[in-house]
Amino acid sequence: MATDFEPRIVGFLCRWCSYAGADLAGTSRIGYPSNPRIIRVPCSGRVDPLLVLKAFLDGADGVMVLGCHPGECHYLEGNYHAQRRYAIMHRLLEYMGIERERLLIDWVSASEGKRFAEIVEEFTAKVKELGPLEGRLIDRSNPS
Amino acid sequence: MIDQIRAKARELLESGQVSCVIGYEEGTRGRVRPAFIYKPEDVDRLVWNERCIHNLVVYLRQFARPLKRGEEPPRVAILVKPCDSRSLNVLLQEKQVERERVYVIGLACEGMRVDGQLQERCQRCEDRIPLVYDLLVGEKPQTVGHEDYADVEELERMSPRERLDFWLRELDRCILCYACRQACPACYCSECVAEQLDPLWMGIAIDLPRKWFFHTMRAYHLAGRCAGCNACEQVCPMDIPLSLIYRKLVKEVETLFSYKAGLDAETPSPLATFEKGEELPL
Amino acid sequence: MKVSTKDDLMAWLDRLAERYTLIAPKDVEGHILYRPVAGSEEIAFDFTKAALSPKEHFLPSTQVILSIERKGEGIELKEPSLERERIIFGIRPCDAKALRVLDALFLEEPIDPYYAERREKTTLIGLACREMGDECFCTSLGGAPDDASDVDLMLTEVEGGYAVQVVTEKGKAIVGDLPLKEVEGSPPKPIVHEEKVPIPELDAWPQHFNDEYWARLADRCLSCRLCTYVCPTCRCFDVRDYPSSDDAIERLRAWDSCLAEGYRRIAGGYNPRPTKMQRLRNRFYCKFYYYPKDFGPVACVGCGRCIINCPVNIDIVEVLRDVATL
Repeated sequence: MATDFEPRIVGFLCRWCSYAGADLAGTSRIGYPSNPRIIRVPCSGRVDPLLVLKAFLDGADGVMVLGCHPGECHYLEGNYHAQRRYAIMHRLLEYMGIERERLLIDWVSASEGKRFAEIVEEFTAKVKELGPLEGRLIDRSNPS
Repeated sequence: MIDQIRAKARELLESGQVSCVIGYEEGTRGRVRPAFIYKPEDVDRLVWNERCIHNLVVYLRQFARPLKRGEEPPRVAILVKPCDSRSLNVLLQEKQVERERVYVIGLACEGMRVDGQLQERCQRCEDRIPLVYDLLVGEKPQTVGHEDYADVEELERMSPRERLDFWLRELDRCILCYACRQACPACYCSECVAEQLDPLWMGIAIDLPRKWFFHTMRAYHLAGRCAGCNACEQVCPMDIPLSLIYRKLVKEVETLFSYKAGLDAETPSPLATFEKGEELPL
Repeated sequence: MKVSTKDDLMAWLDRLAERYTLIAPKDVEGHILYRPVAGSEEIAFDFTKAALSPKEHFLPSTQVILSIERKGEGIELKEPSLERERIIFGIRPCDAKALRVLDALFLEEPIDPYYAERREKTTLIGLACREMGDECFCTSLGGAPDDASDVDLMLTEVEGGYAVQVVTEKGKAIVGDLPLKEVEGSPPKPIVHEEKVPIPELDAWPQHFNDEYWARLADRCLSCRLCTYVCPTCRCFDVRDYPSSDDAIERLRAWDSCLAEGYRRIAGGYNPRPTKMQRLRNRFYCKFYYYPKDFGPVACVGCGRCIINCPVNIDIVEVLRDVATL
């Protein structure tokens, strides 16, 4: 694959923990790849797995869903729901032909700026290695 | 068995206990089709044989509203096979059907046949009598099937690329007719994601990416709710092996949460609940 | 009759495939569908009826009818057009008749340019049926398994190959290099059903509109829209604009179905056909009353695909017989 392939990554970050962690990475001047388009949501429990599917459908090569550590959710339970949903969605996505490494679910607290940067670095590298999803699933083929 | 069914249907209609009996009748060209009996004198139309393949539970939602304005919703009787009874349990648990409004005639089942051949799903079936009923018709059969997910596991052993190729090849002939969704008792959303234009999810295009999205989306929405009745695969005009997707989910939900949908009408789906402090292998 | 051997026919088709896009019946995972083929060896000859009619090559299930691209300060509008002329090989008389039914709408003023272009740039090579299928009833609607009136060339299987009948100038233009031998006799007649299905007259339909029959029929309908998609004459569509990139928008036309719950819902939320009874009834009235009244032909060719595929056995032949006796 082309070495200049820059993966398009969508990141759903929860406002209270992971987004704050991303902010901290920024204010601490910790560099990380600029690939992720970050979407702030109130809670990882708000991230409907369909949004992940839609991200892949619309051209994302990788998707991250980052929330608070289990037990520390600002809304108490949101990330437990997310955990169950993504346990299923991960396996379903893999079964339907999208490599499981393209979807990252992780927990990042507001104080983990450095860890956030590391996660993004690692994920971007991984997706870059996997190559673009576009072309296999996304190109709209006209039947006639 | 059919005499018992007809007698009960006649009794229920004559006494006014129900307004309609949902069962099976002979159709055209040697096929059986769903029957809606409103009058006692019509009960002889009802049949019960190995061609009664439909899951009738899907029709309960059209009787959830009053037939005439100002009236109560009607009480109906319905014939269920073991697989159908599991989907009925799912609807009962999700409060889509009121138990008191449905008289359930449960049918002991030895399996359905198409052209004399026992259907694959019946070969795997582990329940031979319904799990919910008001009246059980027939003796529990001796033979029981076994679900070993062999074909699901075969797909799991492929590489991601091989699997994607498999699904793109199978879904290519899908025409997005939504027959699978319409035949599914658990798909009762008044407006499906597939048809929502604002917010836009899929859009109107009938192409491979959208076919992939629709089936993956529907499968996800049925996680923990699919009772494995196989109506989806049955109605598909292009014989797409949909049960391979839904049984994968049934397997995963069972492995992760020790839960199978439809075994009773009380336990909620694991995706609607959680355990505090649990850690799941993501 | 003029006869070509199968080998000559295959070679001729291979030559045609070099100049035209050749669309022919192909086995796709056990289902016969009309697909572009690279050569004659991909063609399936042994079939009664394809799962889907070639309607999808004139009214595609999804079609870009306009693309709007940002170019500098302004925009550029592009209408995609067919690159190559096409040949559809192996079309059955019922599916060809269905195209005539569609012509009555799409080629009437204002002409649908996308359909018209495809119609004009396509040559139809028909393949007569040896016998009517169990669900077929083309003869009840003025058609026949060997009706050549709607194709450009008609082939009929005979001993030693295929009888070739040139029907139109378009057909004549491509048949020049197909070796033909003059043989005594005429192609065998296909086996047809003795009994015909009564097709109620136009003015017989209005009086049954409010009959309870439709409610009882619709009880078992799943509103799945299968019948409209496999039907060679159903033609409803939706048109929407979607962004295809940061700088371009595509106008898509895609199949829609009158059986979909929201099909007739209008801005403001009102839905004139909210119940499935109304939608199912509309389907029959559209085919046998509204369409012939507005455009001429009955919008059914008797192919029987809806009968084969309906999961709950809503049988159009049974409905027609019932309406005749209502």
